[in-house]
Amino acid sequence: MKRFVGALALLLSFSFAEATFAQGDNYRFVMVSHIGSNDPNMNWLTTSIKTFEEKYPGVKTEYLSTNEYSLQGFISILNQAIATHPDGIAVPILNSEALQPILDKAISSGIPVVAFNIADTRPPDQRIRYLTYVGGDEYLTGVKLGEYVTEQANAGKIPKPTKMVCANHDATHQGLKARCRGMTDAMKKIGASVDELIIGADPAKARSIMQSYLSTHKDVNYIFCLGTLSCPWAYSVADQMGLKPKISDKGMTIVTVDDSPNSLEGIKDGKILAAHSQGFWLQGYLPMEILYFYKKMGMAPLSDVITGPIVINESNVDQWIKFVKAVIGEDGYKKQITW
Amino acid sequence: MRKLLKRPDFGIIAGCIVVFALFSIWNPRQWFDWGTISNIGQYTAILGILAIGQTFVILIREIDLSVGSVYGAVGIAFAGLENNNVSVPVAIVLAMVLAVLIGLVNAVLVIRGGVTSMIVTLGGLFFYRGLIYVTTHGGVTGVPQSARENWFTHLLGGHWFRIENGFLLLLLIAWVCAVTLHDSRFGNHLLALGGNPASAESQGIPVNKIRTLAFCLCSFFAGLSAIVTLTNQPQTSVSLGTGMELEAIAAVVVGGTLLTGGRGTILGTILGAFFFTAVRAQMIALGAPPSWYISFVGIALLILVSLNTVLSKRLRSI
Repeated sequence: MKRFVGALALLLSFSFAEATFAQGDNYRFVMVSHIGSNDPNMNWLTTSIKTFEEKYPGVKTEYLSTNEYSLQGFISILNQAIATHPDGIAVPILNSEALQPILDKAISSGIPVVAFNIADTRPPDQRIRYLTYVGGDEYLTGVKLGEYVTEQANAGKIPKPTKMVCANHDATHQGLKARCRGMTDAMKKIGASVDELIIGADPAKARSIMQSYLSTHKDVNYIFCLGTLSCPWAYSVADQMGLKPKISDKGMTIVTVDDSPNSLEGIKDGKILAAHSQGFWLQGYLPMEILYFYKKMGMAPLSDVITGPIVINESNVDQWIKFVKAVIGEDGYKKQITW
Repeated sequence: MRKLLKRPDFGIIAGCIVVFALFSIWNPRQWFDWGTISNIGQYTAILGILAIGQTFVILIREIDLSVGSVYGAVGIAFAGLENNNVSVPVAIVLAMVLAVLIGLVNAVLVIRGGVTSMIVTLGGLFFYRGLIYVTTHGGVTGVPQSARENWFTHLLGGHWFRIENGFLLLLLIAWVCAVTLHDSRFGNHLLALGGNPASAESQGIPVNKIRTLAFCLCSFFAGLSAIVTLTNQPQTSVSLGTGMELEAIAAVVVGGTLLTGGRGTILGTILGAFFFTAVRAQMIALGAPPSWYISFVGIALLILVSLNTVLSKRLRSI
């Protein structure tokens, strides 16, 4: 009888433990993002989150995003997400000052936060108290691309930069500004200056703004498109103005960002010098896994997880095209080419 | 002179003369450069065509906030049809049918549904933009190479003696619309409806028909503007037309069309579109940050509309 009671007690305790673990696995994590369905990069994040969900079937993930470049709209959906008391939030720090009070409040109420895609770039003691940051280093993106420009110019393959313009489609995005800052610092080393030009997201207006700028800034021989969407616009403006934007040792040179089909096809066709990858797939997957292990085991990485940048150029573009097609499919790839 | 002062678009005529003179003195080399003229001409055409449609709606005391999204939706439908091997003329016709249908839906909801146009078209602004995002998943293929080489594409988006065809089309549309507005029965009915809806109805004017036509024309011109954009520059994006509704409304209002309806001109609207485009282009060319332009739009709007209001009050009191 004692044995039976003991066995029953053991069985009950195992069942209880299993139930507790299973219950513990029923987390709900929310990724609040500025990368919406207006941005092809969303596919990377949603695909990787899906993979995470397949690995942890008990965990539910939600992807909330704005569909326009608006800090206010982003804050609104972030507040909505926090109000639902999720077990964890992954969020890009679009604007440190604006997001600080909201995220501090969420963290104080016990919601762990992982920053992804854009970090809080302020000194460590002033930063938002998130667990860790998973993403590229936007400043380094500019620096690395700038260093690549310098290297190629020194080799005589492309013109020596005299002046560069950062074409920025979103004035409120501090990540884009950091990219431009990185490029500015890299260009300073070779004596070239950099301007920032806010072009907006509408193609016709952006073209008109770029044309106005380039018509009086004759010394500009490099355009750094801070978003992949604007590189075909920049190319067509430069081409129309007779600035010879095809990659060579003369004329205008265009550099952009991201491993999106637009950038990759631009490099392949010799219209774009280089772009970068910031490891978007990891930026979707890792924050979820970090939140999971934090909730379950109290673990958090001891330092930021930097997923990029790596420079994509004519030497590795074919490899990247294959990789991107494998992730988003041949059809998805074709649909995103706007050249 | 008094006749000129009495015009609803006197403010914008004066504003354009001042701006023209200012830039001619300040930076003549840049201002009279053909690249600048072509750039300003093309964007004036895009914004002007869009704003002409808005003028018809504002003249009847309504507003259409959906034009930016309609511009985007029709443009993306046009590129999408061409990517599915539909010929350029057929793609244009189908895209324009879509535009007119959207206008018809707006009109039906306003007239039959009894919902104010501001709410109906605000809903449209979000709905059509959302539809773009959902259907494209963020990626839009540009106009295919075969379509870019089509004669019809060149007709709308090419050049004629270095003048953008889009700008020539704007002049043609402006002339037709101005004649229609001031010398046709439809135009008279439209102005009468805007001036005093109750009186217009009592005089037997088919007010619902006029309203429906105004909304359809507004969406039609938004769609046409998108086609002019894409035939000229075939690379597109899901952000096509973002924020253009406000620029179009600003061009109409600065052009002297009263938000209370019944008074306005097509010339004023075109000059309003030219004014904003030229000032932005020159501000950027002169080195001002483009963000300043947004503040400038607000200031210009206040100054020019106030000028119009003060002048019309003074002239009434004389």
